[in-house]
Amino acid sequence: MKKIFVIAQKEFSSCFHSWLGVLVGTLFFILTGVFFMILVLSYAKISMNPQQFGLSSLAGVNQTQFVFGSFFTNCSLLVLFFVPLLTMRSFAEEQRQETLELLFTYPLSDFEIVAGKHLGLVWFFELLLLPLLGYLAVFHWLGGEFDWGPVLSGFLGFWLLGLAYLAVGVFISSLTRSPVVSALGTLSVLLIFWIFDWVETISDGPWARVFAALSPLKHFRDFTMGILDVQNVVYFAFFFLYFLFLALASIETRNWKH
Amino acid sequence: MKKKTVSSSVVRFEHVSKKYGSVRALDDVSFEINAGEIVGFLGPNGAGKTTTMRILAGFFAPSRGKVWIRGIDLFRHPQKAKRSLGYLPEAVRLYPDMRVAEFLRYVARLKDVPRKSRNIHVQGKMALCGLTDVGHRLIGRLSKGYRQRVGIAQALLGDPDVLILDEPTSGLDPKQIAEIRALIRTLGKERAVILSTHILPEVSMVCSRVVMINQGKIFASGTVKELESCLKDRQEISVRVKGRVYRQGAIDLLKGLPGIEALRMREEPGEELWFIFEIAREEDPRAQITQLFVQQNIPLVEIQRVKLTLEDIFLHLLQEGRFARRPS
Repeated sequence: MKKIFVIAQKEFSSCFHSWLGVLVGTLFFILTGVFFMILVLSYAKISMNPQQFGLSSLAGVNQTQFVFGSFFTNCSLLVLFFVPLLTMRSFAEEQRQETLELLFTYPLSDFEIVAGKHLGLVWFFELLLLPLLGYLAVFHWLGGEFDWGPVLSGFLGFWLLGLAYLAVGVFISSLTRSPVVSALGTLSVLLIFWIFDWVETISDGPWARVFAALSPLKHFRDFTMGILDVQNVVYFAFFFLYFLFLALASIETRNWKH
Repeated sequence: MKKKTVSSSVVRFEHVSKKYGSVRALDDVSFEINAGEIVGFLGPNGAGKTTTMRILAGFFAPSRGKVWIRGIDLFRHPQKAKRSLGYLPEAVRLYPDMRVAEFLRYVARLKDVPRKSRNIHVQGKMALCGLTDVGHRLIGRLSKGYRQRVGIAQALLGDPDVLILDEPTSGLDPKQIAEIRALIRTLGKERAVILSTHILPEVSMVCSRVVMINQGKIFASGTVKELESCLKDRQEISVRVKGRVYRQGAIDLLKGLPGIEALRMREEPGEELWFIFEIAREEDPRAQITQLFVQQNIPLVEIQRVKLTLEDIFLHLLQEGRFARRPS
């Protein structure tokens, strides 16, 4: 099990070997910053003159919900596009460069390889989350008030969503030897999951409920509203483990195909 | 099923077959390799060499059959068995964005080299493979020869008992080839080394034993000497004579010698004639021929005894698929 960390370390540091990781990190930092600023400014604007925005008073507007709820929802859209860029290298690049062959001959289990690769990306994703804590500090410094509960549950939800998306990306990456195909494939799958969230708005039959239950965004939304439901955590745990298992199965197929 | 009856063999292939779809890449292959042996796998392209190497290295499982590494079933206890393996793939690919020393330290950790001795261990292997000066360089920027050395160094990490080298000298320049061959000979003293190649002289230079493989089947195996002696109990002698006028005289003389077979003649430019014949291996009629030709005043300019090379043996075996006397 120790070797999961060895591989994760290598994966994590190789995020910085290319400009891709640095670029994704910087872009994520800038974009989330812009989102946050816009949300804070628009809240400030509304709070000055609520009547102009059709609100009788500011009492009905929850500061935390207005700023952080929307902020995490916007971020969830960002990771939809960034995760495919992060995961496209994990297996596809190694299969293209044929460096996996050696890895498979070291005294490692396939699980250690898949889990290590995934963990390295999770670390990188967590690194991306760090600046978000800075925004909290800035908000506090500006004189904003927020409830810790919804903010923390928002972070937790965002972290779980990121892990789940990364698992999809790692699986798709293990299917191909082309990083571009991997990125586009992951993006398509994530977009399809994104669309699941809409089905409920156009229909309310039993199928709509199935799609809604499968939608990561629906489960994520509860977190942004400060609702901590075990169901949602279990959903993400299953989502994550399911794609991890698929990735494991996919790299084991080398034993019978070629 | 415990098999504790394993002899001293470090590697044992038991009736291994591998299919890629409907293509049979390996068909019921069995062999054993002992410590201190350098075994060469010889075969034309597509014979199943790389498949054998990959199965042996634990890259993928065979469709049927078992592989034992030091008495451990490679596909039942892969992690345990793989600790005794060092593998250099054909045209080794390494992470281009890692530095040499960084990569080797990474592999050392994956191969369970204890933390305390890790740095010394890695440095030792780098020195052995002549990599000390390039430790800080990116693998992607190294020349092919150096990358091959990094490949060999990673195979040596953890001091495995079994080294699997798939075409270790392909794509290198002659000086590098000589260096790597010397390195392999050194390494083979206490380990079992399996190398695959399609360069025939390499086998006779480096290997103590040869396994010949074609179309997924082993069709010959033994030391180079054994193969030579099995193939042929005869040798070929060529005599070159200057001047066409001596043709008949030379033929008469040679025909008079005892034990001569398959005499033939070839004309060469510049009035020279080649007479080629076969004779039993133990005989050496060269001195006698020289003497006779001088007595008859036939200008003898060259006399050669041709030993059959591994190449001849190989081509013959390929054609006939079995040991046989050379057809005359």
